[in-house]
Amino acid sequence: MVSKGGVLRKIGLATAIILIVLFAVFPFLQMLSMSLKYQWDWANPSLIPTQLNWGAYAELLNIGREEKDVPESVRILLEESDLTRRQRSEILEKYKDTGDVFPFPRYFRNSLALSTLAAAFSVLLAVMGAYSFSRLRYRGRGAIQRGVLFVYMIGGILLLIPLYRIAAALGFLRTAAGSFTALLIIYLVQTLPVSLYMLGSFLRTIPYSIEEAALIEGVSRFRIIWRIIIPLAAPAIVTVFIFAFMIAWNEYLFASVFLRDHGEVHTLPMGLRTLFGSKNAIWDRIMAGSMLTAVPVMILFMAIQRNLAGGLSEGGVKG
Amino acid sequence: MKIDLTLEQREAGLGWALILPCVIVILSLILYPILSNVISSFFEVSLSARDSFTGFENYRAVVTDAAFWRAVLTTLIYVTASTLGTTLMGLGTAMVMNKVFPLRGLVRSLILLPYVAPVFSVVYAWKFFFDPVNGLFMDITVERLGIFAERFNLIDSPGSALWVAVIFSVWKNFPFTYLMLLSRLQAIDKNIYEAADVDGAGAWHKFRFITLPELYFVMGSIVLLRVIWNFNKFEDIYLLTDNVRVLSIYTYFKAFVGVADLGQGSALVILQFALLVGFILYYVKKVLKW
Repeated sequence: MVSKGGVLRKIGLATAIILIVLFAVFPFLQMLSMSLKYQWDWANPSLIPTQLNWGAYAELLNIGREEKDVPESVRILLEESDLTRRQRSEILEKYKDTGDVFPFPRYFRNSLALSTLAAAFSVLLAVMGAYSFSRLRYRGRGAIQRGVLFVYMIGGILLLIPLYRIAAALGFLRTAAGSFTALLIIYLVQTLPVSLYMLGSFLRTIPYSIEEAALIEGVSRFRIIWRIIIPLAAPAIVTVFIFAFMIAWNEYLFASVFLRDHGEVHTLPMGLRTLFGSKNAIWDRIMAGSMLTAVPVMILFMAIQRNLAGGLSEGGVKG
Repeated sequence: MKIDLTLEQREAGLGWALILPCVIVILSLILYPILSNVISSFFEVSLSARDSFTGFENYRAVVTDAAFWRAVLTTLIYVTASTLGTTLMGLGTAMVMNKVFPLRGLVRSLILLPYVAPVFSVVYAWKFFFDPVNGLFMDITVERLGIFAERFNLIDSPGSALWVAVIFSVWKNFPFTYLMLLSRLQAIDKNIYEAADVDGAGAWHKFRFITLPELYFVMGSIVLLRVIWNFNKFEDIYLLTDNVRVLSIYTYFKAFVGVADLGQGSALVILQFALLVGFILYYVKKVLKW
């Protein structure tokens, strides 16, 4: 028998669930919807575009821009006159509005390179470090572990000014490559405490007896790490890599200061902000850019979702 | 000559060898910069010439500036409101998600989205939501409900922009709070609730006298983490609106924009850190009862 109170409670629960889900996903729906709308459709509050417009995505990804914006008369002239292929492409080149094209692919490559390298180095150092303080006994181990936790609490703004001065004094900021390298090192440092902490927690859950058996057999420590620990910890290593990647991918504060004089190495967060500030009427491109930068990361996270709850509680968070 | 080491010594040697790269990186790029920051807060800093010692001049200049105290106040409001909002929203969500209902797996994934999406992408969705010309918020409040007489830019005036930043922060961070609280909720012994049912306790009483006390310490820790993170928050506010001058943004402008003053910036950072540490010590003693 379902009582009246039971029905009311069910309706209340359903309403609460719907409201929470709506609150969580509405901005994403809006992002998707806006990225596909034409400008005349922007003020239309409906989430479904009146007419689909893929133009913003095409522009950001530089698809089909070769022929665009070439006046009809020039095109006819080009086809009818007997110019060499080289001359023809030179003329066409003039009509590509390169100054106006938002170099999204380049920002994407920069961000991808920085985040991947930083996460890879971070995981590499962290595997060694975490093995050391979760498996080996030595004096000073506790102090190092507490130090890592303490460092974890220090926000970026506290380090920005001194690191900027150090990088400037060492001459890193004079060239694009130097600034890029300085930023890479900073991202490595920023992700290292998280990686160490998460991997350390995971390694403690691997039973010591497996290693002990190998040690008695006379297997060296390095082979144990390489052949036993790393394969066993593979899922955790992937999770930690993605967390570290995320931290670097999202970073704006340091990038905005370190890379500001070197446009060619700007990262995605800087690029999107430049795009937003560049012209009026940019909503479709901004939203397409947001989709293109958010979706890959969200897919990565969903892929490791099983480990996510655990990862979060093991301290795999910053922000 | 071969030196024979004991097993313990070899283990200790290997331990240090493996942790050394991490220790070097952390010492040289986190602890050394912090110390150098303390020192440079007492200097007139210049990137081209030598720094000159000025004692407490930077600190004096910072605390006698009314803008600094406005930044402190803004930070306090931002941190308090966003932490409170995030915790309440997280608690509510955890209570709901603790129930059994169809499609719970899907709902769980969807609710995590705000937390996993990059800040620098999703801020624009919120900027658009509050956009005066095309945004849905103005459409609803002005055209549909008639709450406001005309459309205006919420993000452009510092007063209302602060609340937009708070809403964004709650949206971005409630999934984390909810996940942490849910895992604690699921660990509560069901027998306690059954015993309360036998005693005829209502839903509110069960929540007030069983659930909340069981959650107290988890909630206390989450609130502490949230306060620390939101206190140092930069991107989540700056990318949304540069009108909300919390301390980190105030420092950023002071040190890197316009007449860049790295010395005063260093002093500001020290003051910000001191405020945070003071709060943590107080909180840990009073709330977490360490």
